Amino acid sequence: MKNEKLLEAAIKAAMKAGKCLMDHYEKRVLTSSKESLRDVASLVDKNAELEVFKILHEFNPSLPILSEEHVFQGVDCGLGYWVVDALDGTVNYLNEVPFFSVSISFVEQARTKVGVVYAPLMDDIYYAAEGIGAFKNQCKLKTSDRSPNNSLFSTSFSGKNYQPLGREEEFLVFGRVNDMSRGCLRTGSAALNLAYLAEGRFNGCWGKANKEWDISAGLLIAKLSGAMVGVIRCKSEGYLYHYVAAPPQNFTWLQQHIETLFPEDDWVSVS
Amino acid sequence: MSKKKLLIYGAGAIGRGYIPWVYRPEKYEYYYVESNPALRNLLNDRGLFATFKVINGEYESLHVPLIECFKPGEEGAVLDSVAAIITCVGPRSFPTLESTFRNCKVPVICCENDANLPVEMREHTKNPNIIFAIPDVITSNTASKEMLKKDPLAVITEDGTFFADEYASQIEGNCSYVGREELKVQWLAKLYIHNTPHCIAAYLGSIIGVQYLHETMQCAAANRIVEGAMHEMENMLKFSTNIDHEFLRFYANKELSRFRNSLLCDPISRVAREPFRKLARNDRLIGAAQSCLSNGVIPKFLMLGIMAAFCFDSIDDPDSHIKYLLRSLRPEEFLRTIIGLHESEALFSLLVSNWDSNFQKIMELSNEK
Repeated sequence: MKNEKLLEAAIKAAMKAGKCLMDHYEKRVLTSSKESLRDVASLVDKNAELEVFKILHEFNPSLPILSEEHVFQGVDCGLGYWVVDALDGTVNYLNEVPFFSVSISFVEQARTKVGVVYAPLMDDIYYAAEGIGAFKNQCKLKTSDRSPNNSLFSTSFSGKNYQPLGREEEFLVFGRVNDMSRGCLRTGSAALNLAYLAEGRFNGCWGKANKEWDISAGLLIAKLSGAMVGVIRCKSEGYLYHYVAAPPQNFTWLQQHIETLFPEDDWVSVS
Repeated sequence: MSKKKLLIYGAGAIGRGYIPWVYRPEKYEYYYVESNPALRNLLNDRGLFATFKVINGEYESLHVPLIECFKPGEEGAVLDSVAAIITCVGPRSFPTLESTFRNCKVPVICCENDANLPVEMREHTKNPNIIFAIPDVITSNTASKEMLKKDPLAVITEDGTFFADEYASQIEGNCSYVGREELKVQWLAKLYIHNTPHCIAAYLGSIIGVQYLHETMQCAAANRIVEGAMHEMENMLKFSTNIDHEFLRFYANKELSRFRNSLLCDPISRVAREPFRKLARNDRLIGAAQSCLSNGVIPKFLMLGIMAAFCFDSIDDPDSHIKYLLRSLRPEEFLRTIIGLHESEALFSLLVSNWDSNFQKIMELSNEK
C-alpha cells in the first residue's frame, strides 16, 4: 500500500476526530473509570474514535484497526493495520488542560509506515511517513540536539497496576533526570511528548509500559525528525512497550539513566 | 593593480550567473561558499565557468575564473581578507549565517529577495555592515543544451540592474547604489510586480506541464491570469503607496516581456520552488492578496495564482508535501491550519467560496499543452 495514500487517510481521520473533540471541549461529558483513576474513558473518546473508524473503513475496509477502546477490530490478513488513539490525554481533556491529541499510525510487518498526531486545541498537525519525511503543518520537523543539562525531558509512567513494586524506581529516575537537566515533565499525552521531541521543544522522552496506540505514531514522527529511538516490548502484555527517544547527544545518556526501569526479564523483543 | 577578493555565498543562479556581471572578473577574484557538494566539486575541478547575458536578443558571454569554492564553514581563512561579501543563498538558509557575519568588518550585501532579512540580521548581529540589495533581473540556474554541452556550469542571465544600499558604495561595480527610500520603492515594485506574477506564471506552467517560464506565457489562458494578477498588483500599489504610476506601468510592461523572453531558459522548477515560503502571510501570494483587499482591489486573478500554488506537485521540491495536505484536508482546514488564515478574514471567505470554481479553472490548464 502506498505510504502517501495511507498518510492522506490518516490526516483526514485525525482532523475529523480533532473536530469532534473540539465540538465537545469545555462541555460536561460522561465518564466511566477503567483500570485506574487516571485511565478514564469518555463518550467523546468513543465518538471521535467512531469518526476515525468511518474514514479508515472508507479508505480500505479490509484493514484492521487496533485501538484503545476496541483493542483489535478486523482480521489481520498481513496487509498491515491501523493503530488509533482518538484521544490521548483524556484526563487533560476532561480537566480542560490544553494538552491532548489524536494519534493514528499504520503498521506493516512490525514497521510503522505512517504516523499522525493532531493537537486540536493548538490546531497543529504533526505527520510523518517513510520515504516522505516528518512535518508539522507546513514545516519540516527537526529535533534539537543539546547537551543533557540544557535539555527539557518528558516521560509517561506505566499504569498504576503495572508492576506496582517497580513504581518507586520510576519516580526516583524521574527525579534524577529532572534534577540533572532543565527539567522533566509528566504531561499526560505520550503522543504529544514525542511530537514535541520531533519539533525540538523537548530534547528526550521515555516511557514505561506505554500502550501501542499512545506512542506508535509519535515514535515514527520523532524518528524521521532525527531522534534515535529504542523500543522494547513488554513480556506480560502484547500491546505494552517501553521506549526511549532522543537526539544523539541525549540518547545514550538517557538510556543509561533509565535502564534500571527495564530489567531484561521484562521484555521480549527489540524493534 | 592587484584584484580585490569577493566572497560569494551561494553559487546558484544569482551568485554564479549575475554577480560576475556586476562585480567583474577584471577587478575581483571570486571565492564561493556552496552547500551542494556536486556543484562545489565541479566548480573546484574546472576553476572556470561561463555566464551568458541576453542583450538585444543575443547572448554575450563572460568567462569567470574562481579561486576556490568552499564547503560552508571552511571559508574562515579568507573572511578577513575580502573586500566584500555577497549572499545569495535563499531566505531559508540565510539565518544560518548569523555567527559568520557577527564580526564582519566589510560590507555584507544580501541578495535574498526579502527586505526584512538583512534588517533582522543587522539587529541580531549588531553589525551595521549588513545591507540589502535587489538584483532586478531574471537569472536562470541553467542554460541551453548546447551551452551546457560546452560548459556544464553555464548559466543565462538578463541584462538587469543591481540596486544596492549606498552604504556599500565604496565597493566598485556596475550597480546603482541608492538611498534606503529609493531602495524601498524598488523593493515594493520587485516584490509585487515581479515576484508575485513571476511565481504565478511558474505555478501555472507546472499545471500545464511545461519546462520553462516563457512556455507558460505562450498559453493564452495562463497569460491572461498572469497579466490580470499583475494589473491587480499595480492597482494595489497605486492605492497603497505614492509610487509614480508611470513607473509602475513601465515596470509591469518590462516584467511581462521578461517572462516571455525565450532566450532566458528560466526553469519552472526554480521559480516555483518552496511554495509554502511564497504562501506565507507577508509574502508575494497571500500577503499580496491581503494588501489588495485592504486597498479595495479584489484579487480575482491572484486567487487563481494562489490556487495554482496550492496545486503545485513536484516530488523534488522541499515543500512537495503540500499535495498530501491539499488532498486530505477540507479547504477550511487547509487555509486555517496550513496557510494560517483565520475564518474571520475576508481572504479566507473569498478563497473558500471560490474554491471549487478556481480549482476547476486551474485544472483545465492541464489540457492546454
